[in-house]
Amino acid sequence: MAPKTRTILICSGKGGVGKTTLTANLGIALARQGVRTVVLDADFGLRNLDLLLGLENRIVYTAQEVLEESCRLEQALVKHKQEPNLALLPAGNPRMLEWLKPDDMQRIVKMLAEQFDYVLIDCPAGVEDGFKNAASATEEAIVITTPEVSAVRDADRVIGLLNTQGVKPVQLVLNRVRPKMIANQEMLGIEDVTDILALPLLGIVLEDEQVIISTNRGEPLTLNDGNSPAAGCYSNIARRLQGENIPLIDPSKGGKGLGDKLRRLIQTKIF
Amino acid sequence: MTTEYSRKIIALPPNRKAHWRESLPKSLQDFEKGSIDLHCGEWHLGCRELKQLTDLIERKGLKIESIKSRVPETVVTASALGHQAFLDTSNRPPENVSTEDQNNQLNGSKVLFHEGTLRSGDHLNTAGDVLVLGDVNPGAKISAGGDVMVWGCLRGIAHAGQWGDKNAKIISLRLKPLQLRIADAIARGPDEDPTPGLAEEAILEDGKILIRPTKSGSLNKINTYIS
Repeated sequence: MAPKTRTILICSGKGGVGKTTLTANLGIALARQGVRTVVLDADFGLRNLDLLLGLENRIVYTAQEVLEESCRLEQALVKHKQEPNLALLPAGNPRMLEWLKPDDMQRIVKMLAEQFDYVLIDCPAGVEDGFKNAASATEEAIVITTPEVSAVRDADRVIGLLNTQGVKPVQLVLNRVRPKMIANQEMLGIEDVTDILALPLLGIVLEDEQVIISTNRGEPLTLNDGNSPAAGCYSNIARRLQGENIPLIDPSKGGKGLGDKLRRLIQTKIF
Repeated sequence: MTTEYSRKIIALPPNRKAHWRESLPKSLQDFEKGSIDLHCGEWHLGCRELKQLTDLIERKGLKIESIKSRVPETVVTASALGHQAFLDTSNRPPENVSTEDQNNQLNGSKVLFHEGTLRSGDHLNTAGDVLVLGDVNPGAKISAGGDVMVWGCLRGIAHAGQWGDKNAKIISLRLKPLQLRIADAIARGPDEDPTPGLAEEAILEDGKILIRPTKSGSLNKINTYIS
């Protein structure tokens, strides 16, 4: 029997900082490492995890039908076309927001936990009911933020709320880091952010145009062994989640530009 | 501050005698529609529990104006849920006590220790002095009837002497607040960074708030609490 299932909430407070992108890429990366992973779209109001995974046209049933017991869980789960270890449980229609209760969320997650090693929950933005429902059903959380004051402030609030709900451990991912701008002191540094949020840093994701391309194609970056900077960052996060000890990249050191960064990333991949 | 007299109070039963889930529905029948203050006593309430509790009360058509508790965690939960929340540190509600009385009383042993970081949206409110072992982040607020002491970085808003004590002080290892308030005075935080390794205090002088390095005697008060 596999060790206990880990249920991880991926949240940020602020919208548009990369929750869904992280969920999709982390899901793929974990699946490629051979663990059975399911991603659950808890953003019922504005669902788009299915888009990022390129699975939109395969959805037949959703979490809503599962809760109403008009279909079995297996029928609603959408297997990823290239990574059979990854499944998606799509969000139902936006009206679910009105009746979904923490109990419902817990029921779904419990069902998923029986079949998978990792349950990743893509949390809606904000700190209202959608967030609270999702937080009530999870044990761990990853808070993702960008080096901007508004994103950091919202992340701080979310961390406070997660603490009152007893979610732990809570780890931090810093997204869209631009080493050049940090070096020129035009962007909040990594220490500035960790100073305020006081959380263990699970990973840093570099700013990367490839993310936009992959999002539009519905093919998460981690799906291919390309050498995009962000893809390497996502895979490293997945490996750290699995307990591997991989040092964090330090954008303030050495890297004069993304070119150097890229080269170093490729090197780390070889080992 | 004086509304407390006109509003009714719902008090939860003492912690070990009966659970509020059982006793509250019955006692709610005595209340008519209107605004109330909720006194949570020693109950340690998480988000979910407190929401159930307030739902129960609000379903009866009652409006919760404020929540008072003896447990700091419950106060934080209540503020997180958007309620006006206060920490109850005395047997008497602080509103009934004049400033002089409060000072006398506070010179006894009324200091609240809070361990951990106060995050954006949190509001810690207490009648006496408060000592935070951790940071106060931007967006968080801390109000005290007496002094505010932060063993960490103060980046949020601090209000010392909130009921008019002009001798109240704000002390922090790193004083980098958004805003400082002492009694009725309000000041923006300084724009420049504090000198590292030097604790600073804010005091009220001639109606203005000024910041200076902490004198060695400033924390004597704590020593008396600890000893």
